[in-house]
Amino acid sequence: MKNNIIILGAGQAGIYAAREIRQNDSKSNIKILGEENLLPYERPPLSKDFLLDKKKEEDLCFHSSDVLKNENIQFENISITKVDFENKKLFTKNDDVYIYDSLLISTGSENKKLTLNNNLKNDIYYLRNLEEAKKIKELVSNKNKITIIGGGFIGLEIASSLSQLQKKVIVIEIGNQLMGRIIPKQIADLVQNTHIEHGNEIILNKQIEKITKKNGDYEILLNDNSLIETDFIIAGIGSTPTVKLFENTNLKLDNGIVTNQFCETSIKDVYAAGDVSNFYHPLYERNMRLESYQHAQNHGICAGKNIAGVKTEYTSIPWMWSDQFNLNLQLTGICNDFDEIIERGNDINNGVIYFFLKNKIIRGACGLGIAGKIGRDIRITSKLSEKNTIVDKQILSDQNQKLNKLIQK
Amino acid sequence: MSEENWIEVGSTDSIEEEDLIRFDHQDKTFCVYKLTDGFYATDGICTHEAVHLEDGLVMDDEIECPMHQGIFNIKSGEALSPPACEDLKTYPVKVDNNKIFIKID
Ligand SMILES: Cc1cc2nc3c(=O)[nH]c(=O)nc-3n(C[C@H](O)[C@H](O)[C@H](O)COP(=O)(O)OP(=O)(O)OC[C@H]3O[C@@H](n4cnc5c(N)ncnc54)[C@H](O)[C@@H]3O)c2cc1C
Ligand code: FES
Repeated sequence: MKNNIIILGAGQAGIYAAREIRQNDSKSNIKILGEENLLPYERPPLSKDFLLDKKKEEDLCFHSSDVLKNENIQFENISITKVDFENKKLFTKNDDVYIYDSLLISTGSENKKLTLNNNLKNDIYYLRNLEEAKKIKELVSNKNKITIIGGGFIGLEIASSLSQLQKKVIVIEIGNQLMGRIIPKQIADLVQNTHIEHGNEIILNKQIEKITKKNGDYEILLNDNSLIETDFIIAGIGSTPTVKLFENTNLKLDNGIVTNQFCETSIKDVYAAGDVSNFYHPLYERNMRLESYQHAQNHGICAGKNIAGVKTEYTSIPWMWSDQFNLNLQLTGICNDFDEIIERGNDINNGVIYFFLKNKIIRGACGLGIAGKIGRDIRITSKLSEKNTIVDKQILSDQNQKLNKLIQK
Repeated sequence: MSEENWIEVGSTDSIEEEDLIRFDHQDKTFCVYKLTDGFYATDGICTHEAVHLEDGLVMDDEIECPMHQGIFNIKSGEALSPPACEDLKTYPVKVDNNKIFIKID
């Protein structure tokens, strides 16, 4: 049967879903609607190689327009402002109507905004999309002392890039460690040391009381009465799923769009994938929402299969990375549900990994190392946790023993 | 191609099965793999962002980059999974007297 399939949100999950649908269904109309005037592109370089000028705009797109043309996938640069799930319709602000048989929502997530100093709203920069990355890149070129509010992944990646552009960078974090509590304190401290070694200033445990504009520059007053002078401010204080459009509808929302293991939402023929979805993970027997490159891709592919009628459970093990200076940090599985922690290595040159176990089974791991030092072990951890393997702790903690041995074939 | 282009890498037992070793020659660096059906060689550096694949995981015929899990087919060099999208160069390999040689152009 020929269906009208609409993908709302032209990001990573959306494009992978579209191509997967086409692989399984040669007939249906597939249309991706996106409010950014660009084919779906990779966001990770925005805070890293794009700022550093190692990657250009044209290097970021997942697929060229030729690929979409060949697969007969349409892309329209349009913003949807209203949905009518009952009649399966989407509307733009000019009341243009899009009618669907199946809908995938892949609207991603958006940056939380600082609430203080509303009059300075336009003076504080955020990074989520290419437009914002271009603006930051252009504006920082003649700034010298840049303040990043928030010591999360994106803030720290920007801090790392700007430091490599010879800028003085100050990071202000409200918590008592960088990157939130999900990252082991030891790893957060190693990352912090690297930033400090490169000349960045890291301020922990401090809240911003007030920001004042003075002669084009800014003064940031902290809650210990200290004053920071700066000429540019970027905030990276977390993100929320992009669900405003659905707030007054029947779609079940709870920290994103609630979906089951088949990417199905509470409304028939409506699916959700990527950052926006709070999905049920059968292995962990609970819902979770992830903001990661690989998840967006795999979840999009899974949604695509289900939309095309190939019933498929989503069972991918969570995995994400962050690159700062020459460090690569990786996180796999779940690191907040454990009864034992095992450490492997203690030097970033050879890699440091913390494994999180529950009932002797690996649930997750977090590692940090120069370039690719921890990748293989983290990947093996994902495989072990997927199979609920009981592991030999001796091997886990001894860096001289290869973890390959633990994988059962 | 003349005989001189075959460069000795090491003995066949220097690589465990389904594993790889790094091999540096002049200013170039390679990965040499032992798969169930023989030995293979590729460029050492990932085509995504210059990290060495020596710390990557070999699974069947594939090498997975340790940095962002880009995947390449070891035999053809084909980039199979993002963020890797550019293929990896491969090199002919021969075994002579329990020694591995790769042909570098
Ligand atoms: C700066 C940055 C760096 C990152 N670095 C890493 C990293 O190093 N490692 C990692 O694992 N992950 C990283 N990520 C996370 C990763 O990029 C995201 O998880 C991924 O992009 C999510 O894909 P998605 O398809 O769910 O959403 P997105 O890629 O965000 O796409 C959603 C799209 O929907 C559009 N949209 C929303 N509402 C509407 C509407 N009403 N009408 C039309 N279009 C709409 C949006 O404009 C957007 O283009 C990073 C993210 C950012 C922002
Ligand atoms: S460096 Fe190899 S996938 Fe990124």
